[in-house]
Amino acid sequence: MKASYNELQGLCRKAFIGMGFEEGDAADAADMVAWMQCFGLGGLAALSRGLDFLLDEDPDELPSVLYQDGDLAVIDGHGQSVLRSSTLALELGFAKARARGLSVTKIRHCHNRQLIMGYLARLAGRGMNVTAFWRNAQQPLTEQVVGFRANGSAPEIRVYAVQEVPEENEPNDGITLVMANHVDLLPAMRSDYRYDLLARHDESDLLACRNQALAEGIEVDEAVWERLKHLATRMLVEATDASREGAGAGTNDTD
Amino acid sequence: MTEFAYPTTDPVPLRPAAEVMDLERLGSLPASRLSFVRSLVRQMARQRWQISRTRFELDAQGHGIAIYRLQTPQGRYHGVIFSQHLADDQRSDRVIAQAWDVTFGVVEGDVDDALLEQMAANVPLQEAGRQHPRLLVLSRANRSLRNFAHFVTALSAGEQPDPVWLTRVGYLYRTTAVYGNGKFGIADFVRLRDNPDFQRPFSAQMLAVYLLRHFSIEQVEHIARCRAPEAAVPMATELRRYLGIGNSTGLGMAPFLINHPQLIQQWVTCRETALALALAQSPDEVSRRRLIALTRRAMRHLAQTVAEDADQAARNAAVVAALPEVIVWLEEVPLEPDLWQQLVAWSARTLPLEAQELVNTLLIELYPERVDPLEEQMGTEECLELTPDMPLVRLKQLIETHYDWALAEDFDRSEARHWFWYRSAEKEEPRLGVRGEEPGAEKELPLAIAPRVHHAHGVLSGFLEANPRALVVDFLIAHPRHKDIVRRIQSMVETPYGEIRANLWHRDMKPMHLLRTKLAFFGASRFDPKSDRWVRITLFQGAPLVEELNAEPRGLADFDDWSFPLEPQGVRHAQPQGAGERA
Repeated sequence: MKASYNELQGLCRKAFIGMGFEEGDAADAADMVAWMQCFGLGGLAALSRGLDFLLDEDPDELPSVLYQDGDLAVIDGHGQSVLRSSTLALELGFAKARARGLSVTKIRHCHNRQLIMGYLARLAGRGMNVTAFWRNAQQPLTEQVVGFRANGSAPEIRVYAVQEVPEENEPNDGITLVMANHVDLLPAMRSDYRYDLLARHDESDLLACRNQALAEGIEVDEAVWERLKHLATRMLVEATDASREGAGAGTNDTD
Repeated sequence: MTEFAYPTTDPVPLRPAAEVMDLERLGSLPASRLSFVRSLVRQMARQRWQISRTRFELDAQGHGIAIYRLQTPQGRYHGVIFSQHLADDQRSDRVIAQAWDVTFGVVEGDVDDALLEQMAANVPLQEAGRQHPRLLVLSRANRSLRNFAHFVTALSAGEQPDPVWLTRVGYLYRTTAVYGNGKFGIADFVRLRDNPDFQRPFSAQMLAVYLLRHFSIEQVEHIARCRAPEAAVPMATELRRYLGIGNSTGLGMAPFLINHPQLIQQWVTCRETALALALAQSPDEVSRRRLIALTRRAMRHLAQTVAEDADQAARNAAVVAALPEVIVWLEEVPLEPDLWQQLVAWSARTLPLEAQELVNTLLIELYPERVDPLEEQMGTEECLELTPDMPLVRLKQLIETHYDWALAEDFDRSEARHWFWYRSAEKEEPRLGVRGEEPGAEKELPLAIAPRVHHAHGVLSGFLEANPRALVVDFLIAHPRHKDIVRRIQSMVETPYGEIRANLWHRDMKPMHLLRTKLAFFGASRFDPKSDRWVRITLFQGAPLVEELNAEPRGLADFDDWSFPLEPQGVRHAQPQGAGERA
């Protein structure tokens, strides 16, 4: 089925509130999912894959700062989805880059990492060059790089399998971010190492995809949609006769 | 750059936010020439938009399908209207209704058979349907049964309906929701961002209402013709003009005002800028006479406005009683360059709030060349963002400077935390509950900004004592639940007119003021509150007709001069028989 961007964003926000997200986190998480879906990058599928984990997470287990100095920060995401754990870590990196020109932020122990792209887009919209790097799998070893140009609305994305796997190849459930005020950090695959390019999304293709989604509606999976609608009902209050009385017009209105 | 011939005084500063954003004052605003219905009509006339009927397949009861084509210099659109029988006991204004007399939509582009079929299956269902992404607007309306019956009876008998009926209730149909911006699958507003026809806020929705008004005229004439083909007459032009479209609005409108502070900032800034521009003009005898004439018309309009609600009726009466003093003042005070500023200062001292804002509205009306360009600034790209590297002490100062009104409230007092806002499981209708008495407070909507600011200020003050050099992001990592309100505060300190200065939890808070604020910017007249939580209003009453628009008016001055419409006189003479058929 097709949905509008506003509808998708609104339903996600209500569903996240239904899941116990704070208002600001719910709005940010909804933006992240809707942004990715609108650009044809499977935001709802990514959410769906992580939804059961999200529902099990303890909302009171907040991300914590393990280390920070002027231009470096290491955050523990406590195994939570980036939808819940990443935005303030990203804001911390943003603040450091603004102060020092460049910052490196490492979020350890997080999942649903694809979904972080939507918030990176917001940082880019605020004039920051941003690149995120993470490893998707160990066998074969695949890496993903997402780079936004400052004030750009779409990223450059590269996903590739590394042919020469280093000896040290422990599972890595983190994400590393580099932000720079003035330097363009877009990924360019120019190394001498051997790799197989698995996916490449260019800015122009992604923008065309978004324009098409806005014109024709955004394709959404009905099962996921229904699940989100169900979660969203958790924020609603059951009606009573008294509540109906105080809500407005009568049930039969003629004039 | 346009040169204006008006002599001016020194620039007049905008009024302070503390005055303008007071909820009771906002709830006293009348529609102005910057209201969306007015600016849409001007745009249609300037750009010579043309509206034609392409399908009109109605049975003798007026049930069936009608399609109207709108051609603008930029594009083509269609208004598609489905009219059906509705049992009287289903005619509810509430969002929880499930059927309506008419349902309709505005489509971008052409309507082929496949789209019409899709719309016929979904538009009548409204929220329960999946709507097509080429729909810009989705809406529905119910008949005013008494007006409808009277109009059909009169026209089919070859007589004109009595205008008094429209003075009492100014429409044949009233809408109960006019959806835009992606609701239920229709097009996102962002898609219209580059479309010069509908890039202003709510202009597509207002067009939908304008088309419904035209349909209501054609439909009632059609029914009268079917009933008495030989005797029926068309509606007199004065009556057609005096016919508007109603709207019934409840608490559902309130969250919009709180959730779109940057848009509210634009609307209020444009209105205040218009007022400041008007106040800076030096009046001449012509403009003084014009203001007196407008005041007389507004006074008669309000005297003719019927409001069941005792409070609103009393406020209307107070304005009507006060306006003769305004006229006397205008006639007697010497024509000095700063006369308008003197008038506003005098009105602030002596007139009730609604009369003060009415005078301001009429002053704005005097200077279309100065004021009308502001209509292009009523929209904005909304974006609330954090400034994480702001020193926390700076944020504290900003709160104390710009949100002093929120800090001044004592939330320990029970009356200050009386209401909570929530969404009902019934179609997600926003409702108000009494805290501690009604269920649902744990699912409260965060619409009351003042208590959130107050709470955040207290927590960050404590954090600051322990961490005097902290940045905002440091505070938020320790207290993430304040992210949303901090982001709002940081964004809104740049925009003084965005926050409505009221405690929406307070026992004495009047939700009606919120509804009226938004409706005034839409261009509503004849505010007729049915309780403190829902109101009926009229849109487009007095507006130029489709045939007048299609005739491509040469000048805008008369065409645009339709505020505060008056009951037409002398229209009850019979028209020639058989004249009911219209091309």
